[in-house]
Amino acid sequence: MSACTIALLGQPNSGKSTLFNALTGMHQHVGNWPGKTVEKKEGSFVNKGTEYKVADLPGSYSLSANSDEEVITRDYIASGNADVVCILADSSQLQRSLFMLADYAGIDVPCFLLLNMADVAKDQGKKIDAKAIEDKLGIPVIPFSATDIKSYDVFYDALEKAVANKAKLNTATLEAKYAGIKGFGEICSLIPDNAIPGYSPMWIAVKALEGDKVVMAKLKDALDESTFNRIESAKADAQGAVATGGCKFAWIDDVIGQAVETSGKQVTLSRLDRIYTSKTWGKAAVILTVVLGLIGSFIPALPLMGIGSLILALKAPVVNALTSIHCPELITLLIGDVVIQSFSYVFKMLGFVFGVTLVFGLLEEVGVMARISYVFDNTMGKLGLQGKSVMPFLVSFGCTMGGAAGARVIDNWGQKVLTIALAWAIPCGAAWASVPMLSSLFFGPGAVLVILAILVVMVLHMWLTAKLFGAKLVKKEERHGMIMELPPYHKPKWGSLFRYVFGRTKETFVRVTKVILLVCAIFWLLNYSPSGNGGILYRIGVVIEPVTRVFGMSWQLFLAYIASAVGKEGAIGVISALYNGGSFNAAFNDAMAGVALASNVNDTLLANVTKPEALAFIFAMTFNMPCVVALAATYQETHSAKWTARIVAYYTVVSLILAAIAYHIGNLIW
Amino acid sequence: MSLSELKENREALVTDLKGDIRFMSRITSIGLTPGCKVKMVKNDKNRPVLVYSRDTMIALNRNECNGIVIEEVTA
Repeated sequence: MSACTIALLGQPNSGKSTLFNALTGMHQHVGNWPGKTVEKKEGSFVNKGTEYKVADLPGSYSLSANSDEEVITRDYIASGNADVVCILADSSQLQRSLFMLADYAGIDVPCFLLLNMADVAKDQGKKIDAKAIEDKLGIPVIPFSATDIKSYDVFYDALEKAVANKAKLNTATLEAKYAGIKGFGEICSLIPDNAIPGYSPMWIAVKALEGDKVVMAKLKDALDESTFNRIESAKADAQGAVATGGCKFAWIDDVIGQAVETSGKQVTLSRLDRIYTSKTWGKAAVILTVVLGLIGSFIPALPLMGIGSLILALKAPVVNALTSIHCPELITLLIGDVVIQSFSYVFKMLGFVFGVTLVFGLLEEVGVMARISYVFDNTMGKLGLQGKSVMPFLVSFGCTMGGAAGARVIDNWGQKVLTIALAWAIPCGAAWASVPMLSSLFFGPGAVLVILAILVVMVLHMWLTAKLFGAKLVKKEERHGMIMELPPYHKPKWGSLFRYVFGRTKETFVRVTKVILLVCAIFWLLNYSPSGNGGILYRIGVVIEPVTRVFGMSWQLFLAYIASAVGKEGAIGVISALYNGGSFNAAFNDAMAGVALASNVNDTLLANVTKPEALAFIFAMTFNMPCVVALAATYQETHSAKWTARIVAYYTVVSLILAAIAYHIGNLIW
Repeated sequence: MSLSELKENREALVTDLKGDIRFMSRITSIGLTPGCKVKMVKNDKNRPVLVYSRDTMIALNRNECNGIVIEEVTA
């Protein structure tokens, strides 16, 4: 056999992603399941000359029909896409985490069981006899610890054995338990073999008892009406899931009963958990953890950001060199203003992606992420989000792009998109650099009030956006309270973590470069004019000035607002240059390249911009689209051009409305 | 009584689960089934409760707790 596909199946926190990263390293690819918004992770590795493809299936607690993730997972396996399934359980919480195995029983694909976190279980004083479990299950069962190199040899052996022997799970003892449920026997006898390909009649009967809608719909198609109706009436009891769940756990108890020895130690909250779960200190401790982590992540990220600045520094010499060899002006400009500029953005962005992915990945792996979810569950739940969403929000105060990249820790697509949509409303570092400067220039001590107003508007904006976007992205029936485990803390596996971070950074580089080049080129074209003065944007800006006046913006301010959608750092430079009679084309390109502000910038602003106009501009710029890089990151994470475009349009409109409101309030005051 | 009424450090047995199919399947898959023992680890207002059951620390939203009927075990 040249290529063999293995699927990784396990509950959240079973260490599935760590194993996936350790096995596949840089050979992985993230995409979407066809027609679905669920992420699909695939990779490959070679062992003893055999190539293995690995599918990292979405983590879920069971194989019910509660979410797209679970249905995709079970259908993927049952349709024969995988040659063998590796089921992961957490040795430190063996009883509960074997539920996945019990739910899998009846799917007709070879499998083997990996008892992960063997080290944690050992620390807890648990002794597990894998051989005894293996004898009862009839499939290879191996203790495993991702941080122990020797574990991998055992893993490869078990994998080979499971493939060669086509190891099938022994389900007879489980079926005997199910037989005690009223209606099970009758339903089982009504379901012919292969009624739904890949699933045994036992599995189908259990799902029917649990009221699984997807299975019932398939049965309705597969069976004649009278048989289906008999199944319907036999399963009538709503307590089906409770009865089958009870059987699954009773079976698990039988399987592991003799094989597990515990120390009988009482489990209490660790000292760290007492701080995280504290009513008084919990939130502060979480925020401190994330902030310290981010600061720490900047150290390895700095070289990448340095490359970004270095590329930008190349712009002048390259343009000069091209001019001196009489390269056509258009090409020189394109290379300088579009290509070099874009790559400078891309590398600065990669620094952020690298840092954020590393910190979030680490927090997830050691188990802190679950505590964060717990602490912020109530607050974020009000917005229709998971507690984890607080992390991208925190990052967005520094950089929206980092926030968007960090949103990948959220495992539900709708909630991820909603998180990113809300993160855009948080003023980023570049806004926090411009806003205090502009406000203190125009309003003196009143700047404090302006900043306060921005924070209030931010909260209202997020609330409103959550209402508007949330209705579609996170459907009401999907909004359910937290039911989640707090996993024991684990040591991180650095090699695997770094491989994952490098892989993600590389992938982001490829995908995002295209978007940024495209958007920068479009903006450049809109600005370009052969004479050096003019350009499409400039002309439009001047013509529609009567309209932009409604929002309190002269054409100069409006063009600076447009520029702020590309990068907020440049906005003030554009205003200053335009009022000094510079061309928009040059002003825009200079400001984006980070050319220092003119020395008379304060006088220019005060002489040309009134207080209400300044207020309007501050709000327009702050709540505008954050920058092209944030746009690219949003597209990269949502995998959806439609939703990215919706978010852009929405933020443009809202920022203009806010500007108009600020302007008219300003007119009343001054 | 419902799970959220259990005081910290007290133990109880789950006697009944009430809710829609979705809730039933989610709550059993995390290990809470009738007959299983739970220990309340943390029960603060406005926070999910923390219970220990089947070797696992479980965080549960307070609304979800309403569907979990328990009987306190007096030591």
